[in-house]
Amino acid sequence: MSHRPVVRISCTINGVAREFKAPPMRRLIDVLRDDLGLMGTKEGCGEGECGACSILLGGEPVNSCLVPAIQAQGADITTIEGIGSPGLRHAVQQAFLDHGSAQCGICTPGMVITAAWMVEKKLPADEVARTLAGNLCRCTGYSAIIEAVQAAIVAAQGSRG
Amino acid sequence: MLRLSPLHLHQPRDLAQAVALLAEHGPQARLIAGGTDVLPSLKLGQTQAGVLVSLRRVPELLGIDLQDGQLRIGAGTRLAEIATDADVLAHLPALAHAASRVASPQIRNMGTLGGNLCLDTRCRFINQSDLWREALGGCLKSHGSECHVVPGGQNCVAALSSDTAPVLIAYGATLELLGPQGTRELALVDLYGADGRHHVLLQPGEVLVAVRVPLPGPGTRVAYRKWAVRKSIDFPLVSVAVRLDVAAGRLTGGTLAAGALNPRPRVLDLAKWAGRAVDADLAAELGQFAFDRCRPLPNVPYDAEYRRERLAVEVRRAVLELGVIPS
Amino acid sequence: MTHARIVGGRHGKPDSLDAMTGVARFTDDLVLPRMLHAKILRSPHAHARIVRIDTTRAEMLQGVHAVVVGAEMPMRYGIIPWTPDEQALAADKVRYVGDAVAAVAAVSEEVATAACRLIDVEYEVLPALTTPEAALAHPETRIHEANRHGNVTKAVQLAFGDVEGQLQAADLVVEGHYQFHGSTHGMLEPHCAIGHVDGRGLLTVWSSTQVPHYLHRELSKVLGIPTHQIRVIQPLVGGAFGGKSEPFDLEFVVAKLAQKTGRPVKCLYTREEVFLAHRGRHPFDMHYRTGFTKDGKILAVDAKSVLDGGAYSSFGLVTTYYSGQLLGSPYAFQSYRFDSTRVYTNKPACGPKRGHGSVQPRFAIEVQLDKAARALGIDPIELRRRNFIGENSQTINEFHIGSSGFLECLTAVEEASGWKERHGKLPRGRGLGVAGSTYISGTNYCIYPTELPQSGVQICLDRSGRIRVFAGTSDIGQGSSTMLAVIAADELGVELDDVRVIAADSDLCPVDLGAYSSRITLMAGNACLNAARDLAGKVRDAVATKWGCTKREVLLAGRRAQRLDNPEVWMPIQEAFILAECAFGTMGATGSYQTPKEGVHGEYRGGTIGASPAYSFTAHIAEVSVDEETGEVTVEKVWCAHDCGKALSPVLVEGQIEGSCYMGAGETVMESHGVMASGLRTDGQRRDPGPGKEGLLAASSLLDYRMPTTLDTPELHAFIVEKPDPRGPHGAKEAGEGPLHSVIPAICNAIFDAVGVRIDALPVAPEKVLRALREARKS
Repeated sequence: MSHRPVVRISCTINGVAREFKAPPMRRLIDVLRDDLGLMGTKEGCGEGECGACSILLGGEPVNSCLVPAIQAQGADITTIEGIGSPGLRHAVQQAFLDHGSAQCGICTPGMVITAAWMVEKKLPADEVARTLAGNLCRCTGYSAIIEAVQAAIVAAQGSRG
Repeated sequence: MLRLSPLHLHQPRDLAQAVALLAEHGPQARLIAGGTDVLPSLKLGQTQAGVLVSLRRVPELLGIDLQDGQLRIGAGTRLAEIATDADVLAHLPALAHAASRVASPQIRNMGTLGGNLCLDTRCRFINQSDLWREALGGCLKSHGSECHVVPGGQNCVAALSSDTAPVLIAYGATLELLGPQGTRELALVDLYGADGRHHVLLQPGEVLVAVRVPLPGPGTRVAYRKWAVRKSIDFPLVSVAVRLDVAAGRLTGGTLAAGALNPRPRVLDLAKWAGRAVDADLAAELGQFAFDRCRPLPNVPYDAEYRRERLAVEVRRAVLELGVIPS
Repeated sequence: MTHARIVGGRHGKPDSLDAMTGVARFTDDLVLPRMLHAKILRSPHAHARIVRIDTTRAEMLQGVHAVVVGAEMPMRYGIIPWTPDEQALAADKVRYVGDAVAAVAAVSEEVATAACRLIDVEYEVLPALTTPEAALAHPETRIHEANRHGNVTKAVQLAFGDVEGQLQAADLVVEGHYQFHGSTHGMLEPHCAIGHVDGRGLLTVWSSTQVPHYLHRELSKVLGIPTHQIRVIQPLVGGAFGGKSEPFDLEFVVAKLAQKTGRPVKCLYTREEVFLAHRGRHPFDMHYRTGFTKDGKILAVDAKSVLDGGAYSSFGLVTTYYSGQLLGSPYAFQSYRFDSTRVYTNKPACGPKRGHGSVQPRFAIEVQLDKAARALGIDPIELRRRNFIGENSQTINEFHIGSSGFLECLTAVEEASGWKERHGKLPRGRGLGVAGSTYISGTNYCIYPTELPQSGVQICLDRSGRIRVFAGTSDIGQGSSTMLAVIAADELGVELDDVRVIAADSDLCPVDLGAYSSRITLMAGNACLNAARDLAGKVRDAVATKWGCTKREVLLAGRRAQRLDNPEVWMPIQEAFILAECAFGTMGATGSYQTPKEGVHGEYRGGTIGASPAYSFTAHIAEVSVDEETGEVTVEKVWCAHDCGKALSPVLVEGQIEGSCYMGAGETVMESHGVMASGLRTDGQRRDPGPGKEGLLAASSLLDYRMPTTLDTPELHAFIVEKPDPRGPHGAKEAGEGPLHSVIPAICNAIFDAVGVRIDALPVAPEKVLRALREARKS
């Protein structure tokens, strides 16, 4: 096998300082799934066309299938594993549960990531659909997802009062 | 799935270093910023590159600055930022709109203005997998010798499908370039050539540093219209910017800039209509003008005839919108 | 203490929390020690003979552990046993661009991919036939040499009653030519499989499949090992919709390569490979004649259809029957005739996509009805009411209809949409359209001939007061595991969280035939209910003995055993389970389901295909806006009422209704799967690009295959109608496929209401609408 130069990358993943070695152009989704065991991020197309692989990079949703590992250097990364915690669900997770927003579940991690960003930014309800327009779902027809996100945004604001 | 081939990647810390790296590696080097266009292209083996030079950390490429009657936008500015920037919204609203319509929110968080302006040309015969193109036998741009869009054609007619290029051309944008020979200014419209294999006419080793847009005067109005089948993710199938310069209710000049046609945007001057009132008749005539002068090809994946008709409608409607005329 | 029944309660899917936290494990999330990765080499030719294949160079590449070619697995198979025309890897011929030829197992996908490029294949290119017309016109170019009828894979002609006579007698005959295009499932999880062989030669295959049992059988057949030496496990599946309901090359490949290497082997499809595997919606070319009385009663229906089957049979035999057999309801026909021909073409094979073979003819008949309503001056909903076949009736092709909520469905959407006030009265450019449909709740017969039950479920009671349900069912996101938990929990008096469902492991679970034909709720649900009642009876028995009352006075609900005539007397359910185990021994029971054989279908040849224990019913109204200048159609709103018999889980049923409406709407206006028009010149004239360049997909990415985003999806309004059928568990019937059908004709009927033109050739596209408007203006 041909030798591939690797670089050492330090970043924060889900609030924890991590360090890993990878060829600079290795896809971040592969680093997360294959190297770091963070299998929650899913791959639907590998070309940035479906949003299933969405993670937060520098606090913003991106397609991890298009991010080279080198771009993680010094970055703050949140994956689905970093949303909520055992025993304390994120408002989005609770809302998804309440609204039946997950059917097969493969698009769900990407949806939750983008939704969590919307809750953080307190997006108005009428911007939810547009902000989810880079996340495809084949099962639900979106309405249960959009309603859940709208409810989560409201719930999160209420709980901060 | 579609893994990236191992490439050497350099991360210059400043512009000078970036230019030096490009000079050092010559044609083997490919620039990468957000990566949303380059990476899929590399993964599918559509372009080859030995070395990537990343512009992500080059500070001189960032920033949106209002200065001396112009807006200077660093080429490394992300599209999401351009779509929501207060100065862009205030002075160049059509640019904010165009930027907001690129792809998806995730891609806009990574993709840059420079990347969108330098988008590789696209064609239904090129943007396919290795297997597909092998089955086809390749084409002029993709390891083959014939064009499947223009039979017998010797020039690649893949289309520039950038949303920001037409609108910035309409705004009269110029580019700041830096290369081994030094700095250069270039009108954006002159960045593009007619060959889809080599449509971005940067000189060897040159980097697009910033886009300068003169602040439109009070009588200048620009609109950007994009049509695609879906309202998100899709590249434009019809892409046109309309600029009207109006004084005392009459047109003094204007521009139509249409993308998703050829390797370079079709730019049409509206001087012929100077003196005309901006009314429904003018709108209809300009729509017809666009129809007459633009010939969509079967490069972009949608019926070419329909795209031509749709382009005319979009121009007509844009003119009505700019003239605030009820349709 | 009253306790809300779990059946019918508004619970979600308890297991969906796994997806939301990222712990849900799909096949590609599974990693085994020393696992190798496989890649498949595919044909660049639409039709060619394989002359020679040389894998030497590939085998020598460092990191490659094994290579396999078609000749090593020559056994032909097919999901329908009567049409075994596929091989795991093509051995003698390739029949579409993308047909699998060889595979490599290596230490990484990159090495496997590089190795595939080193496999030398010599092809003798043959003429490619990429349309049914071409395939029918050139039977001498045999896509399948063994096929006896040129390139026709199946032909079905059935007639009931005197069609010609009835057409003569009709006051109105509506004739229409309808063209239904191809589309594909587009599930977000690509196919993935892992093969592993243990020290004793036991082969385990994990696969993202919706038919683990059929996969199990075909693995045995193709690999030549007995089924007891194979274990098939289906992890969570990220969507299937019929696209994973037969075996695929990768499953055989990982099994064979695991055998050859002695190491686990995983193969994951690229998105392009999913499009190539396809097995999606058959394009249909249909000619319909329908005769009506002046009151709108249907006298005769005559349907002629040509199905574009692609390179292999897949479920095509069934599709060809369904193309006519499923039209006999919800309207009564006095006479009926259909003639359907399925043709091989050198393209990815078509198969079952949600609403298999029934969506296309439904489109035609529902538009025919709309045309008739218009011509006769009858409201389209009223026309449908007048023709309703009725509950407990028999279709003209002798299927038994049990319960039917069709009329209630029509009324529900009529009221919700404001139909009476608005249809035909909206401003030009805006319109409402209606359509109805029906679908099977499972097929009466298994795909292979057998007397064995279609479904089996085993339930074990735990001393902790909890339940384990073992079922061979395939949860593909529709919530079948939740459905089983609901039935079991409801019967045995526990909460939903107290039930664990272990599904789709052939070592642990009884056989269930899988998630296809919308069968699981009715069939596995019944099996589960049987097992649960068995156990509940025993528990109540044991408790009754303790209380000195009869079994009838013991209620199991809300984690309690309760005395009916004296609610003060109760015990925790855990105690009740323990009492039962002490009395009867280990508490486990099995339940089976076998479909009724009497009075379900006719005795004529093909009479069984389309027969079902119970049918669901649906009505749709769509509201569209049409921009007459651009031809663009926007589906603004969709109302869908669906009779699912009994909604065991209303939230899940609503999810199926909404998802079906979404998928149907997408298929109508923006999705299209097929090959590029060959050699289209700029002037629009066709030109033949030469052999080997045909058969290229127009869309093989999620960019080009346009599935609606949040911004492209209409406002969806789902209504559950419940007309319990005695054959369903608690009266339940299907909800997974029925609600897709009628949204398609409803949209097209709405376009007519909006701007007075018919789009009879799908998909609806702006250029077609413009053309139709221009034609209309001329005349």
